[in-house]
Amino acid sequence: MTFEPGDRVKVLLSEKPGHVRIPGYLKGKAGWIESLIGEFPNPEELAYGHSGLPVRPLYKVGFRQADLWDDYEGPAEDYLYADVYEHWLEPGEGGPT
Amino acid sequence: MGGSPGGPIDRVQHEVEDWERLADAINAALSGKGLQTTDQHRRAIESLEEYRDLSYYERWVAATEKLLVEKGILTGDEIDERAAEIERRWGGP
Repeated sequence: MTFEPGDRVKVLLSEKPGHVRIPGYLKGKAGWIESLIGEFPNPEELAYGHSGLPVRPLYKVGFRQADLWDDYEGPAEDYLYADVYEHWLEPGEGGPT
Repeated sequence: MGGSPGGPIDRVQHEVEDWERLADAINAALSGKGLQTTDQHRRAIESLEEYRDLSYYERWVAATEKLLVEKGILTGDEIDERAAEIERRWGGP
C-alpha cells in the first residue's frame, strides 16, 4: 500500500482510453486519503474480460468542493468523497490535513 | 453526465415499462449464468456511439446486445430476425 490515511494525493490527469473508474471532474484535483476501503481486482481490466489481477488498493479520497467547482459558493468545509483506485493517484503536496 | 454538463434534470416520475423490467431481468439472468459482469456491461454502455441519445434502459439493452455479439453468443442477424418476428406477432395495429 502506497498511501496512508491523511496523505495528500493528486488525481492523475491521464486520458487513458476505454473504461476508466475515475470521474472526469476529479482529474488533476488535489485531495487526501480518508481511508483504505480494501483491495479488489481492477475493474478497468475486468471490463474487458480479463482477470483484473493483481488486486489494487481502493481508497476513500476526500476533496474540498471549492477545489472541484470554479463557481462553488457553499461553505469551505463542504467535502466530496470518492472511491479511487491507487493507480489513479500520485503523491500530493503538503502534509496531512 | 460523467462530470460534463448534462443540462436540466427531468424530475418527473414515470412508471417502469414492461420492456424495461424485462431488460433488467435479462441482465440479472446473464449475470447469474456468468455470461456478463457489471464491469463489462458498464464498459459496453460507455462505448455506445448513441449514448447521449438513449434512455437509461435503452442503453442497457443496446449494451447487452453488443456484449452478446462480442462474446459470440448471438449474432446481430439472429437478434434482428428475432426482433422482427416479435414485431410481426405483437407490434403495431
